[in-house]
Amino acid sequence: MLPFLIIGVSIIVFGLTRIGGSPVAIYLSHEMSSEEVAEIEARYHLDEPVPVQYAYWARGLLQGDLGWSGVAAAPVTEVFPDKLAATMELAVASAIVAVSLGIGLGTYAGARRNKLPDHLTRIVSISGAAMPLFWFAIVMLIVFWVYLGWFPIGRSTPEVFASISHPTGLYTVDALVSGSFTAFRDAIWHLVLPALTLGYGATAIIARMMRSSLVEELQEEYVDAARAKGLAERLVLRRHARRNALMPTVTVIGLSFGFLLQGTIVAEIIFRWPGLGRWMADSVLRGDRATIMAYVLFTSVLFLIVNLVVDVVYAYLDRRVVLGS
Amino acid sequence: MSATSASQPAVGAANESALRVRIRRMRELAANVLANPTTLAGLVVIVGMVGMALLAPWIVEPNSPNASQMPRDWGAIAVPPGSPGHLLGTTNTGGDVLYGVIWGARTSLRLSLIVVTITVAVGVAVGSLAGFRGGRVDEVLMRIVDVFLSIPELIFALAIAAVLGPSFRNIILALAIVFWVKYARIMRAQVMHVKQNEYVDAARVIGDSNWNIYRRDVLPNSITPVVVQATLDMGNIVLVGATLSFIGLAEAGLAEWGVLVSEGQSGISGGRWWASTFPGLMVFLWALAFNLLGDGIRDVLDPKTETR
Repeated sequence: MLPFLIIGVSIIVFGLTRIGGSPVAIYLSHEMSSEEVAEIEARYHLDEPVPVQYAYWARGLLQGDLGWSGVAAAPVTEVFPDKLAATMELAVASAIVAVSLGIGLGTYAGARRNKLPDHLTRIVSISGAAMPLFWFAIVMLIVFWVYLGWFPIGRSTPEVFASISHPTGLYTVDALVSGSFTAFRDAIWHLVLPALTLGYGATAIIARMMRSSLVEELQEEYVDAARAKGLAERLVLRRHARRNALMPTVTVIGLSFGFLLQGTIVAEIIFRWPGLGRWMADSVLRGDRATIMAYVLFTSVLFLIVNLVVDVVYAYLDRRVVLGS
Repeated sequence: MSATSASQPAVGAANESALRVRIRRMRELAANVLANPTTLAGLVVIVGMVGMALLAPWIVEPNSPNASQMPRDWGAIAVPPGSPGHLLGTTNTGGDVLYGVIWGARTSLRLSLIVVTITVAVGVAVGSLAGFRGGRVDEVLMRIVDVFLSIPELIFALAIAAVLGPSFRNIILALAIVFWVKYARIMRAQVMHVKQNEYVDAARVIGDSNWNIYRRDVLPNSITPVVVQATLDMGNIVLVGATLSFIGLAEAGLAEWGVLVSEGQSGISGGRWWASTFPGLMVFLWALAFNLLGDGIRDVLDPKTETR
């Protein structure tokens, strides 16, 4: 199924490169004669039938040819790794926030059904789905950057960033590798606000699922049995109910990863984070097709793989599921 | 499944009573939905926002020649809320924030209505065809749906709108291309389920045509989850649409919430918080209200899924 979906996505992306103007438009200029234009089009196989064009395009893709990024003024593949590292750092930090906070809040609320913490969590989870990230991020900036001045903007303090080497491109990891506490603190300090902001929506999704599945589990007979044998309520929750309630929650973690991935675009614009998302946004505004296509392909494949991993983890957690059926 | 008995094969005079049953059921449904205070709150906000959208020309004088363009007051640049003539302040380019908030509601209503209408129509048609026919047709259509669902929504819409070129019309088009798939999937599952009912067999036995069976029995009994999703999408579409225009895919100066938030962004480091805050709050309230209403309808129609 996965290879089929990847091919399907690549066909859609290829289709997008062919609507709205010639894909070689960036190589053309007004002074060129029609013969020269035809010559360039022939060089990029645009005189061939569409399926043949797709084959050439896909072959280039597999050989790592993602085209030329006008925005970065370099081949897409050359710029990609650095930007990817910045985005991954942000996305992973947000995922950690979302998973721990989501499961924590969901458990806390589910165990106190219809009490105040439950109602508060409900407000968090309902508003999370409706929260425009682009607005939430700006409000967070107004409060914590403009007025309180607690957190900085951007990915790093330039002098500190320049003081260490960057073998992985992940700022936190690089700081740890070079043993610089100052750099590590700088990295974390810059990461907190965007990670919390970006993680909010996913936290809401996870908390909501965790809460409702915990409420369901707590009504099961095995919970009564555990209580009847005199187990402390805390242990009933930790050893029995929470473990089972985690299973359905795992399935929404894949979904919320998609949420996070899309969110990086807006979060990176607002927090001036030099990652893939901001590059994509710049490319969208300046018509940099090669970057747009590379980005769509990459994020879709990543999204598919994460969902596959979620399925596998779910099957591992729940032995009743048989993979491949 | 709500109205199974309402769509028993009805002949002649029985038609009228079937209609009456349906109206009564709708009333009961509405009463149940509105019994929940949060759902009611959502509905109240929706009525207020839609009212604001429809009455915009009478609340704030429309900008001429194009009312959906922000008016510019070059004598009052970046004034704070409460200034004379600019209740919610102005942007860095003298755009009246109140005008944007109110006319933005109209833009959002137009966006969500157009996109929901197109996506529901296409999704229901594709899903019904796949579910009703089954076999090869189903297989092909559902594989296409799977591929569409593999690309994260916002990223897909962003790429389409980018390739088509920046304009609000292309945002509408991009959202329509992205959002129909969910309906196709929901509708297919519903139709596959409903067509196994005995009343469908009964209709077949009395010799009804496929089209009549679909129209009279299958469609009315399959449509409720689509209604729930459409309600949620009235909110989601504005959310995604505003995000696209925030990124910069709508025309500059359009009276639209996302555009306005983006315009106000440059002022926040100077402490001018209002130009982004108010229009963004509107997007949030809009999406929240439709989410509350959609959840409320779902809870009543399907009490088993207590999702909260």
